[in-house]
Formats: sequence, C-alpha cells, structure tokens
Amino acid sequence: MKNSLMGNMLYVDLTAGTAESRPTPVEWVEKYGGQKGLGTRILMEDFDPKTEAYAPENKVILTTSIMAGTPVSCSAKLAMTTKSPLTGGITDGSVGGHIGAELKYAGYDAVVITGKAKELSYLYIDPDKAEIRPLTEMKGAGSFKTEDHLKEILEDDRVKIMAIGPAGENLVKYSCVSSERYRQLGRGGIAAVMGSKNLKAVAIRGWLDVHVPDVEACMKVAREAHINDAVIAEENDIYQYGTPVLVDMSQESGLLPTRNFQEGTFEDFKNIDGESLKAVRKNKKACFSCGIACGNYLVDGETRVEGPEYETIALGGSSIGNGDRRKLLEFNARCDDLGLDTISAGGTIAYMMEATEKGLHDFGIRFGETDKALEMLEKIARREGVGDEAAEGSKRLAEKYGGIEFAIQVKGQELPGYDPRGSWAMGIAYVTAPRGGCHMTAYPIALEAWGELDPFTFEGKAKLVADMQNAQFSKFSLGVCDFWPVSSETLGRLFSVTYGGDWPAEKIDTMGERIFNLQALFNVINGRTRKDDVLPKRFHDEILKVGPPAGKPMTKEMFDQAMDEYYEYRDWDKEGRPTIEKLKALGIEEKFIQAYSKAL
Amino acid sequence: MPLRFELSKCTGCRLCELACSGSHNGAFNPTKARLKIIHEYTDDGIVIKANRCIFCKKCEEACPVGAISNNGRWMIVDHEKCIGCGTCVKTCPTHVIYLNEKKKSIICDLCGGEPKCVQWCPKGVISLKEKVTS
Repeated sequence: MKNSLMGNMLYVDLTAGTAESRPTPVEWVEKYGGQKGLGTRILMEDFDPKTEAYAPENKVILTTSIMAGTPVSCSAKLAMTTKSPLTGGITDGSVGGHIGAELKYAGYDAVVITGKAKELSYLYIDPDKAEIRPLTEMKGAGSFKTEDHLKEILEDDRVKIMAIGPAGENLVKYSCVSSERYRQLGRGGIAAVMGSKNLKAVAIRGWLDVHVPDVEACMKVAREAHINDAVIAEENDIYQYGTPVLVDMSQESGLLPTRNFQEGTFEDFKNIDGESLKAVRKNKKACFSCGIACGNYLVDGETRVEGPEYETIALGGSSIGNGDRRKLLEFNARCDDLGLDTISAGGTIAYMMEATEKGLHDFGIRFGETDKALEMLEKIARREGVGDEAAEGSKRLAEKYGGIEFAIQVKGQELPGYDPRGSWAMGIAYVTAPRGGCHMTAYPIALEAWGELDPFTFEGKAKLVADMQNAQFSKFSLGVCDFWPVSSETLGRLFSVTYGGDWPAEKIDTMGERIFNLQALFNVINGRTRKDDVLPKRFHDEILKVGPPAGKPMTKEMFDQAMDEYYEYRDWDKEGRPTIEKLKALGIEEKFIQAYSKAL
Repeated sequence: MPLRFELSKCTGCRLCELACSGSHNGAFNPTKARLKIIHEYTDDGIVIKANRCIFCKKCEEACPVGAISNNGRWMIVDHEKCIGCGTCVKTCPTHVIYLNEKKKSIICDLCGGEPKCVQWCPKGVISLKEKVTS
C-alpha cells in the first residue's frame, strides 16, 4: 500500500565523505512516529548515550513528520535530534517553514549525519544525489548571507536551506539553526554539534510525489479537520497576533519574566505586546500546508524580522529590562542571523545583568542596557572577550561567579517566558522536560493562568503534566504544529489517512509515553536523576509582589511532594528514573533496556 | 478566465498547490501543480507572486500541432494530438505549464469550473469572480 512514508533515510558520514540511502524501518515508525520519536529512535541505535556531544560519533538527525508533504494542516515539520552540549542529555527541536516537506519531496524521511568534514562544508540533497560540498567561503558568515549565497551558487531560488551562523561554528552551547531566514530550531546547541562537524548548512530540493493510501479520502479528512477544528478561523488569536498575544496575558497573570524573573510584571509591556508589534506588521506568513498562519513579518525603521515570538519578547524584552520595540526586533534579527537561541541568549544576559547589579561580578552590563545586550550577542556568537564565557550559558557562569539561585535554567538550559510562580504546574513541566528548561513538553499554563484551574496548587497537577507531555510527544512525532490544539482522536484519524492503518487515541497516547520514556532512559544513562529535576531556588525562596501570584509561596517542600506524585504516576522510582517494568510494558526495545539496567 | 488572487491576504501556505496536485495527479507534489506560489523577503515586506494561467492563450497560438484550444473560460489540451514538444512550456509567460510522465502538456483547466484551489485556500485569497470595476 502506498503511504506518506518515503521509505528511505539518508546516512551521511562526513569523515568518509559518503552518503547512502537505507530503508526506513517500518517498525520504528509504527512505534515512534516521525520527527521527535523517529529522531529519538535513530539516535539510540548503535549509540552510546554517554558519547561526547562534540565527538564525531554524535549524530545530527533530521526527521520529517510522516504527514509532511500532504495537505494536513501544519504538518510540514522538520525535527533535529542530537546529544546536547548544553544539557548533556538528548535534545530535539523542530522547525516549520517549507523545508520539512521539501525533504519528503527529495525522497527521504530522515537524514542521519555523523563524522566530521575536513573543511567547512554543506550537504546538498535532491532526489538524484546527496553530496558533501565545500563551503569554506562562508566561514564566520551569518545564516542569512549563507542562505543567499547557496541559492546563488546553486542557481535555484526554490531550494530550501538550513544553516548555522558564527555561533554554531564557534560552538556556542545554545546556538541554533536557521531555516528560510526567520525559522529557527535547536535549543540545547544543535547548531554547535553541526559546527563541531564542520557542517555549515543543508540544502534540500525535491520533486517527488508524496503518496497516501487514498487521495480523495485523505483530502476529505484533512479538509474537514481544517474547518471543523477551527484551524483556519479568521478570529484565531494566533492568526490575528501570533504568539505576541501572550504578552498582555502574562502581564495580567503576573508571570511575565521581568529583570531576570525578579518580578512578574513589566512597566513597559505595552511597547512590546501584540498590538504594538501589529502596528509595524507588513505581512502574515504561514508555513507550508498551514491554514493558521501565525507568522508576522515586521518592518520597523531599518530593522526587519519575522517575529518576534512571545518567548523572544519575554527573554529579549522584559527579562533584560528592554521595553523598546525596535531594539527588541533587532535582538531577534541578530540572534537569527548569528544563530543564537533567543531564549538562552536572553536568559544568560539577564543573569549577567543581575550578577553585575548584585556586585558578584562585573560583566559590564545592567538591566535596561539593551544596546550593550545587542553588542553582547555579537561577542557571544564570536566568543570574543566576556562573550567567550557567556557562550557557555548561565549555569556555567553562575558556577564560576556565584548566584546559581538566579541562573534561571533547568539542567543548564535557560527557561522560557513563564514565571512558574504564576503557574505552578509549569514548574513541574520545566523540571521534567527531557531536554531541560522548556515550554514545549507541556503547556499547563493555558489551563492554569489562562483557564479554569487554580494555578497556585499542585493538587492533580502531576497527572495533568504527565498526560500533557505524552500528548505533546505524540503530536510532535506524528506530527503537527503546536498551534493546532489537536485531539488524539483527530491526530489518529489524520495519521490513518496519510500513513494508513488504524490509529485509535489510546495507541497515539501510548506512543507519546513510549517516546518520553525512551528519552528519559537516554538521560538516566547519562547520570540524570531526581537531583537534576529542580527549579532555580529563586522560585521557592522569593515571593512575587504584584498580580495574582503575589504572596503565594511555592515552597520546595510542596514542590517535592508534587514531584513524588509525578514519578509515581509515571511508574518511575523515587529517584525519577523509569522502572524496568515500565519500559518493558511500553514495548521499548530489549537492547535499550539492557543498556539501561547496566547503567542504573 | 484567470483565477483572481487577493495577494495581500495570501500567507504563502501553498495549500492550493497541494489541492491542485492531489486532485489531478493522485499524489501530492507542488512541482506538478498548475499554479505556483512564490514568496520573497524584500525591504518592504514579503512579496508574494501567484503564478497561474492568465488565459493569455499564447500556448494555443504557439502549439505547432493545434493540440491546444479554449472554451472561453479555460484552456483545453488534446492529448491525442499533443506531441510533447514543449513549445507551450517555453511560451507560457507565467511558467505554469509542464509535461507529464507521458510527455503530454498539462495546463490548468480550472477543475472544470470548480477549482480545488479556490475551495482549499484557508484565507479566501483565490476566487473566480470577475474583477469588480468601480
């Protein structure tokens, strides 16, 4: 039966200079899906999780959504998975745009890259060839210039490209990958792993068919989902504003990170909120096959950027004391071009500002000094002066200079834009996310701060977070964009008409739980335990003074009790490790369980 | 009659290309769609071009074997007569004609009057309405 799987994965060895196609194992897809799940499964195969992030043996894995290339809304996602140099655990991220579908049209479900090229190179992929080619002339270049240059030398303005900037080349631990200019992925330093392999870019061009079992049935179900699930509704806030709509909501809820999470409300929030950004919006922009269109292309004076997304506003805006719209846009555009994760870059700079103001160490930068922050981005990306240390992230800075309680990170990865004191379940989500401080694993804030649930209790929250994580892991593996709040039933129906077979909701949810546990297994082999599942002390010891969270302490004792409940609900031990029985029950491969038992 | 695009509303999702190729070709493949959406970042914003049959009939004039005609609303290709020479492909000013696997010319036929791209566009960008003149 024809289906949306292309059936091939491209294995690239940069050391040997080879690229060969291997069949995509159907059993991997049926157990783990595509994108996140398939990336996790591929990483585990013949791989010691303890491998150094920058070792040639580490893998950079590109995986598409199995539904990419079909008209299922927002399904054209591409994920990257690797071992993170920032957290020491597994990390994966995904990007929209058009590149995920392009990889399918080029004939591949995945690309697995190992080794190290002898000089700065790029990988070119189309249905007829896969070649590693030199790109030394782009050494030190930003991602924008690199993309333009590749389109020029390939004489193809429709080729889709992902590239790293100087930050990735210089092994900045939170460097990210840019695609189609303003689409970024890769928290946890995926770009640095590319940099360690001398891989500057991947260029993809495709023209093959993507099949489904029954085109008419697929188009009917996909179309119904577009309309009935309100994906394309004009009044959808994500279309009207995109993620900046959240600024006013976070301010109202008293959880908008301000001056490194010292406060939860920002006096200048109106300068950087959805309305303010809309005033300089030129276009709405969608990813391939997306009926929502969250993207906003802004032009403000000389500054142009697609964004900023909410997280960038929080971390490159209020959290560094920046209430200047134009400078915020500049912060975003510079990070995109240099190849820096805006969340970790903003989080690290905010730590440096507070450490300077508290007199722990003079980093020469204080809250509100946004021009200096913009210069700092350049220094970090090029590892110049103080930027060299800042390139290691806030945790490592704090270990050297002190102030670990206000290095706002989990497992070394800086936190996104929601103060957990204003949405307690978000705290559980942060510490249990396999890739470290992250808002993509579960988003209970929508039900707590902006929904019906009490944000200031842990009652029932352990279960809530775990269930949400499982659902997100399925969604990001099968997979559609986060902005479609799709049910497991609908997801299963869409997967059935693209991949084929019967996919009831339970099967979908179990897949998510399986992937979550496999990622946990990877991390535990790397020595991760409960002691790593902690929030910065600030969130327990300091109480916010304004808005709904004011005067509501979230003590460490309360948090620990919630964590006990979380591990118990997951059938993990009290040290936060999956039990062997659980891994077996989920059908995780025996060889992985054996390696895990040895590591325990 | 050309498809009308209200380009200021177009988000560049290319669902029209997918609806087109899926409904005509039995598989999804934008390179086989009868229309192409191209977007480009410029200093003034994103410029979107929607390449589609503009009903200029240049292909009909250029076809050396008279395989292309029109019914007053869309172009019609007689695949019995088409010799796959590609003259129409080269002549098309919007680059939306291609030769299929059997070397036969493929041109937008407005899905027989009810275009799938119009139905699928999530933002109501595409229509078959005549341009309103004030």
